[in-house]
Amino acid sequence: MSLTLRHQLTALDRALAHLLDERARLSREMVRGAPLPAPALDDVLARTQGDFPAPALERVFEAVDAGCRQATEGVSR
Amino acid sequence: MILRLRIGTPAEVVQELRTLIEGQGLRTFLSPEPSRPIVAIVDKAPQALVDQWAARPEVEQAIVPRGEWRLVDRAWREGRTSVSVGRVCVGAGETVIIAGPCSVEGRDLILEGARICRDAGAHILRGGAFKPRTSPYAFQGLGREGLAQLKDAGESVGLPVISEIMDATQVDSFRDYDIDCMQVGARNMQNFTLLKAIAAAGRPVLLKRGLSATVAEWLAAAEYLAAHGSEQIILCERGIRTFETATRNTLDLTVLPLLRQWTHLPILVDPSHAAGIPELVAPLARAAIAAGADGVAVEVHPRPDEALSDGAQALLPGELTRVVAECRVVGAVLGRAFHAQPQPKGAAALAT
Repeated sequence: MSLTLRHQLTALDRALAHLLDERARLSREMVRGAPLPAPALDDVLARTQGDFPAPALERVFEAVDAGCRQATEGVSR
Repeated sequence: MILRLRIGTPAEVVQELRTLIEGQGLRTFLSPEPSRPIVAIVDKAPQALVDQWAARPEVEQAIVPRGEWRLVDRAWREGRTSVSVGRVCVGAGETVIIAGPCSVEGRDLILEGARICRDAGAHILRGGAFKPRTSPYAFQGLGREGLAQLKDAGESVGLPVISEIMDATQVDSFRDYDIDCMQVGARNMQNFTLLKAIAAAGRPVLLKRGLSATVAEWLAAAEYLAAHGSEQIILCERGIRTFETATRNTLDLTVLPLLRQWTHLPILVDPSHAAGIPELVAPLARAAIAAGADGVAVEVHPRPDEALSDGAQALLPGELTRVVAECRVVGAVLGRAFHAQPQPKGAAALAT
């Protein structure tokens, strides 16, 4: 792998991590007013028909959902 | 000239230096920066004296600002300044959205607009009560009554409010109605009498860039505010006049990374006035956040066709929701969090 491609991969990984952080923040805001909804997985799968395999994407979102719910623990309504 | 002193320089040494400089008939300011003493010399000093002061052991760095400003220069603070508008911090590293109709057109309409903004996730409610219109026959705003309606609408949904001030005689009205932030419009950017009066009021100020103002003129206008006591200044790029007529103005996103180097002040972008075309607002808002804006200010109206001013550039409620969500995503990709929306004092207000 060239350094350039590695750099791009690292940048994408950072962006993914930032997005997950933001999703957790939003989840914490949401649970103050209502229960946290499940990810709109059907919608996401319908819109992403790229190179990332759908079953893997489903597993990723299960983990994302679990992580965000964990982040909301202790937040008072 | 800005003298950045070494961290831990005793207060008496700082005072000694200021006394020395002021003894030459020059005025100095001391930065509110807590982490190190920073002294600005606002008058032109002879080079020989500057060299002498710069060589003193307590002076770590002597910086010549790029233009006619000192207190808004990047070197005046260690970090960036954040401005509190009600319970919303602008410039604290989180994306902020200002939204609302161009004008306050009546109690019911501004309340409807406030709910739209709150439901879309915006943080600050905007609405003009004193309207600077190109035509003297166009709607001029509701004046003091408009400020009262704006504040009531903001309070009912838990959002702080911002409105444009056009004249120094209006400062008392903004204070009377506790308007959280005073906006200086593009046409008044260099109305120095107004800037001085606003600075004395001690409220946050959003300073829009003049229609044909250079960055240097814009920062010099901000310096007027700072020099007269205002430390709560937000800059707002709203497009400049160019040869291009396809859009209302040309949004100058170049200033975002540039101003990050030149000033410590927070910077917002107003894509609605820049483009004048609602379809362009979302992509320009995304671009603004990507280029480093602290947030965006957009116009929204429940029924743009019926708006009394600038309806042609207003977003529909659903479009505002999209803009807010997209700004959140673009900011997040770059590691910028989205400001938490302030909550109304009474939780019941959310249910309405």
